[in-house]
Amino acid sequence: MAEDDIHSVASYVNDNYEKLIEKEIPIPYTKSVQELAYILITKYELPKYIEKELVKDLTDFIEEKERQFYDTYLEDEISRAKKDPEFLEDLTKQWEKLFKEETAEFADKKCTSDEELFASAYHKLVHSPALETILSVEHLYAKAVRRRTDQKDAFIQDLSEKQTEEMNKAVDDLEHGVTESEINELVAKHYEDHSLLKVRYASELDTLKEAQRREYRDWVMKMLEYNQENSFPQSPNSPLLTPTSPLFSGPDEMIFPERVKKNEVKEPILEESFTIHLGSQLKQMYNVRILTGTVEDLCIVPVSESSDLTPQLLQTALALYSNDLSGLVLITDNKIGSRVTKDFQENCLKSTEFHFSHIDAQLEKISSIANIHMSKNASANGSRSPDSELLQCGDFYLTKHSNLAQVHVIFHLVSDDSLRGSDINSRHPVILGLRNVLKASCSNDITSLTIPLLLQYDITEEMTTMWCERRAELVFKCMKGFMIEMASWGGSDLKNLQFMLPTGISSQVFHSLADMLPRIFKISNPKILK
Amino acid sequence: MTLSVFVNPELQFSATTFFAKQHKGETCGANGLPLTPNSIILFGKAQFLKTLKNPYLCEYLDIIRGKHERTIVVSQFCGKPLSEYLGKKIFSDSDIIKIAFQLLTALSVLHKNKIVHRNLSTESILVQNSGDIKLFNYGFHYMTNNGQLVSFPIIKLSYAAPEIYLSPLKSHIANSKMDIWSVGIILVELILNKSLWSSLKLSQKIRKILSFYQCGTSVFEKIAREHNCFDVYQNLSAELKHIIEQCLQIDPRSRPTCEDLLKNEIFKEFKVVQRNNPSKVCEKYQIFTLKELYHWWKLAGGDIILELKKQGLIRSSPPILSMPCLVMLDGTVLGQGRNPATLYESKIVQMSLDTLYQRFKHIHLNFCYPLLHCKSDIIAAFDPPHYDTKALPLIIKEKDPEYQFHRIILFRRLLHGYPYTRDMIRKEVEKDIPPLLRGEIWAALLDIQPDYEEIYAMIDKETVTTTDRQIEVDIPRCHQYNELLSSSEGHIKLRRILKAWVHQNTQYVYWQGLDSLTAPFLYLNFNDEAKAFACLSEFVPKYVHKFFLKDNSAVIKEYLAKFSQLIAYHDPELANHLCDINFYPELFAIPWFLTVFSHVFPLYKILHVWDNLLSGDSSFPLHIGLSVLTQLRSKLLTAGFNDCILLFSDLPEVDIEKSINYSNDTFKNTPRSITTREHQNEEYYKTTEYDISGVTLNDLTRERCPRISATDVVDMIRNTPEKILLVDIRNPLQYSRCSVRNSINIPCSSVTYGEHSIENLGQYAQILKNSGDKIVIVIGSTDTDLELFPKFLLNCNIKKVCVLHGGFNILISVTPTVLVSQKFEA
Repeated sequence: MAEDDIHSVASYVNDNYEKLIEKEIPIPYTKSVQELAYILITKYELPKYIEKELVKDLTDFIEEKERQFYDTYLEDEISRAKKDPEFLEDLTKQWEKLFKEETAEFADKKCTSDEELFASAYHKLVHSPALETILSVEHLYAKAVRRRTDQKDAFIQDLSEKQTEEMNKAVDDLEHGVTESEINELVAKHYEDHSLLKVRYASELDTLKEAQRREYRDWVMKMLEYNQENSFPQSPNSPLLTPTSPLFSGPDEMIFPERVKKNEVKEPILEESFTIHLGSQLKQMYNVRILTGTVEDLCIVPVSESSDLTPQLLQTALALYSNDLSGLVLITDNKIGSRVTKDFQENCLKSTEFHFSHIDAQLEKISSIANIHMSKNASANGSRSPDSELLQCGDFYLTKHSNLAQVHVIFHLVSDDSLRGSDINSRHPVILGLRNVLKASCSNDITSLTIPLLLQYDITEEMTTMWCERRAELVFKCMKGFMIEMASWGGSDLKNLQFMLPTGISSQVFHSLADMLPRIFKISNPKILK
Repeated sequence: MTLSVFVNPELQFSATTFFAKQHKGETCGANGLPLTPNSIILFGKAQFLKTLKNPYLCEYLDIIRGKHERTIVVSQFCGKPLSEYLGKKIFSDSDIIKIAFQLLTALSVLHKNKIVHRNLSTESILVQNSGDIKLFNYGFHYMTNNGQLVSFPIIKLSYAAPEIYLSPLKSHIANSKMDIWSVGIILVELILNKSLWSSLKLSQKIRKILSFYQCGTSVFEKIAREHNCFDVYQNLSAELKHIIEQCLQIDPRSRPTCEDLLKNEIFKEFKVVQRNNPSKVCEKYQIFTLKELYHWWKLAGGDIILELKKQGLIRSSPPILSMPCLVMLDGTVLGQGRNPATLYESKIVQMSLDTLYQRFKHIHLNFCYPLLHCKSDIIAAFDPPHYDTKALPLIIKEKDPEYQFHRIILFRRLLHGYPYTRDMIRKEVEKDIPPLLRGEIWAALLDIQPDYEEIYAMIDKETVTTTDRQIEVDIPRCHQYNELLSSSEGHIKLRRILKAWVHQNTQYVYWQGLDSLTAPFLYLNFNDEAKAFACLSEFVPKYVHKFFLKDNSAVIKEYLAKFSQLIAYHDPELANHLCDINFYPELFAIPWFLTVFSHVFPLYKILHVWDNLLSGDSSFPLHIGLSVLTQLRSKLLTAGFNDCILLFSDLPEVDIEKSINYSNDTFKNTPRSITTREHQNEEYYKTTEYDISGVTLNDLTRERCPRISATDVVDMIRNTPEKILLVDIRNPLQYSRCSVRNSINIPCSSVTYGEHSIENLGQYAQILKNSGDKIVIVIGSTDTDLELFPKFLLNCNIKKVCVLHGGFNILISVTPTVLVSQKFEA
């Protein structure tokens, strides 16, 4: 029995049996009186036949004490209530608040938000034959954005080239009467033109995206209505199903040739999968994968004129509003929306975000929430470090996305340079942050998670084979511990865990790390067909 | 037509659901371990409610934990809430007095069990067709540990006693007097025949009740006046008025208790009415109860969660819409709004039993009354044919509603007749055990005596002892994936049982593992601690006798030596391999046998293993051990020492049904004496001069092949001579003078032991090679080496080699003799 459950203690004294019996009894008494009697009989070496008598005596004593306890515990409040109307008013408010906050009966009735309506519409549609249509429409929109982006890039490049030419000419002419101030003017003008063009296209892009978003959302709602009227399933070729929107096409007059892709020689992806089980008695199964890759691999949806839908998108779309989300841990620094993750942020902007606010807005919101929290904390206790407006190593923020290839939720985990070192241990804030990531996944139905195994994205000099092995071992072991712990959190279970290694890693290191995995996690028995 | 025994208006149930409070941030308990989730504490606490049975109380059936702290409570629900009758039906004074009587009776049962309803209203009183009432949802406040485990208030606005409103912070103290106030309000409603303050808003209602503190006059009168019913008040009979006035005393001290109220004259007539029970000895036997019906309903496809979802009580907004924004290192979660779906909703969802009715439609009434004792074939032939599931695996049988129906009906009958039906129970158990009744059946198999409760009550489980520390450390590590065992209530119970056991068995000490051994019993008898203890107390001497001695090394070593011999007996190849790599059972099997696998397997597997164990003897665990090794055989045969250590450090998943079948086989086919031990409990084994005794531990550990007793050998010579191969290794002279019938003679001195080749045996090599499943019994005498030769056979991978204990000479005195003399034959 916990200490705080004992409200009062009564001393039982009885001298009926030629011996003085004394016992402290917690009130209210919740245990068996009969057992108490036997304990006293043994302790005071009393004859057994008094059991019944003693039980009765104890029961009466406890009843009496409990009555006294209940009679007195609210005495003050009752007498106060009798003369203090303000006290009563105060209580009324407290109770009212409690009821309004906690019970559905009295809570402010909110109608379902637009977000939820759209979510359920979308979820229904992607789980119907309309799925393909939806995805291809999304793809068309993405193509349009892509075209516009390409166009913008080309214009800007054009302008840059022109300006460089002009500048070169001006510099060449420096001796022939062109003054330095004129050159400065030219520089200023170039800069201005450049930014003007940029801003113009950026806003044009934003407008396009906003229009696409609106049109798309309307279309989804309409399609749902249509489908409900005509009842599923139906052929995907009905007229309403594919909007012919000007927003699909970019500027017709300029269809840009496919940019020559930087012919990267794709490193072969190394990967190995395991089915493991954890737990000493009850075994829980998990899928664990170790693979080489980059954040981009999981995020970028390839969009080009000729490209078709990728099958992964289908999975991602189906799961978006389900209870099986997939998450990715992205290491960043202590500024929200830091330059460290610039590439990632740009990737998010490559196509229209139809479901959530776009990345900048999300980051802004996070910033403001963080600021409120920090200032509250700072005023409460000055304990957080002087630059309290910044996040600390191990904190993380979340962004959600519908336009990334394989993930819905990004955990932006704050880290610092100490991760480059080789001497971090399981108490390192980033490792503890990973634990919180698991916890957040568990309570928010994120059941697939990808984390960078080395907690680094690039291979540097100091990352020797030794270093990699030590780091991988640490992360494996800590994750194993957290996963075992997670089983008792009562949330959703992690189903897939991916450990990602940088692409450049040598296959020798990869295999040594992949070999380490089954030594740390227990591989489950393969079922052998006999 | 479904049988009317199933379609009974009282056999109905419903579910309610709510969320337990989430623990905030990163907090640890006093013992440094993570806090138990509130839903689990609640789960453990609520179990007690299932034991409450009273005609005026709805029976609690089940508690289910969902994801994210969701809790679902399943309880009997029948009849219509009293609130629906208000204003529609005229209640006569006698109606009201009857309801008051039944209500107070129900409440007094609760109060005696230290349960305060605190949530009482006309909605939680269900009126039956008979006009009787049943109280519903009375354990809500109790199971939430007086409201501490949930974030929402558990009260009914208009019915709550004024002092409840005085102390939102002290709300986890529940005084039974609070219910008395609610009774008063309910009676007022019945008399005025309308619900009170129905038009008032939330805050007005609270203010209204709090205002009673400042009203000097009678509360009842005030209410009556406010509702324009003063005339009703004035015309009310004095007794009833008096009772209500007493209930509605503003000061809880002045309110009477249920007992006090029940003493009132006006209830006199009801007290005389006893329920008619023809038997004076015991309760009337019911062929099944709601608990069983609920069990069958679940097996027949009933799904509470699905039903709640259908009725819109489990709504879920997509999780991606309510993601948090930020999570700080210390675990603070920011930017996550309260999900409206997690608010408390008091809706009750009635479960439909149609699928069950449909499934049981064809069940004949005869099946409800199976013939237990029947000596007449003619009558037995009238018994309808059995529901055939013989070929199905156990898992399927346990999930088959109809099969479980038959089994449960039968076992309930048999258990009802316990202890006189003990043998019949044992016989039926050989088929299988219905999971619902497992706790009781196990208790019957372990011969629990009827006075077990008294014995348990007398044991001191409070006084601090030296083992407390270890127990305290072990309990939070014992089968914690299980909701019952990880709940606070489970911890308390486990601690009490262990302390009681240590107290009661002074010859023994607490060894780690005893906690695991107790776990299955506690799990099965969660609401009957005494029975769990009694089972444990019976189990230990029967199956792990002397294992818990302070110095148990001799006992354990003997057991492990027997295990090695059993492996050698059944699987020489594996035994030889393990021996070659020096991987001995000491390295892995001690926890297996010390805890009879309860530390190794998850609970659901232990239950099946022990189902079989309880009809076997203390050697059965050896066979299970062997079957586990057999499953890992191919891995083990190729593994070195290190791999083996790794493999056993975290035992891979074991197919338990396969394992059980295998061990049942080997158990049946192994002569008892092969696994006989010096340290087994004599009480369960009768020994004669022909049995094995006096083998020292040193000898035992040295011998790689087991000994077999003369009793078993003689028995087999007489009854199953085709299953044995007797090898006489004495010199040919002795052999020709006198030998066992049909034995072959391979003088041990004639064999070259250098290499392990069976061909060295000369003319008999082929016979031994083809011995197959025959038991090879080596018969020697004091002058022959009784180790070298069997070891040689073992090394040649000959199966089932054993040595006759006592040698040839022991057979001489056997009558009628099994010996022959070559001379005579010649």
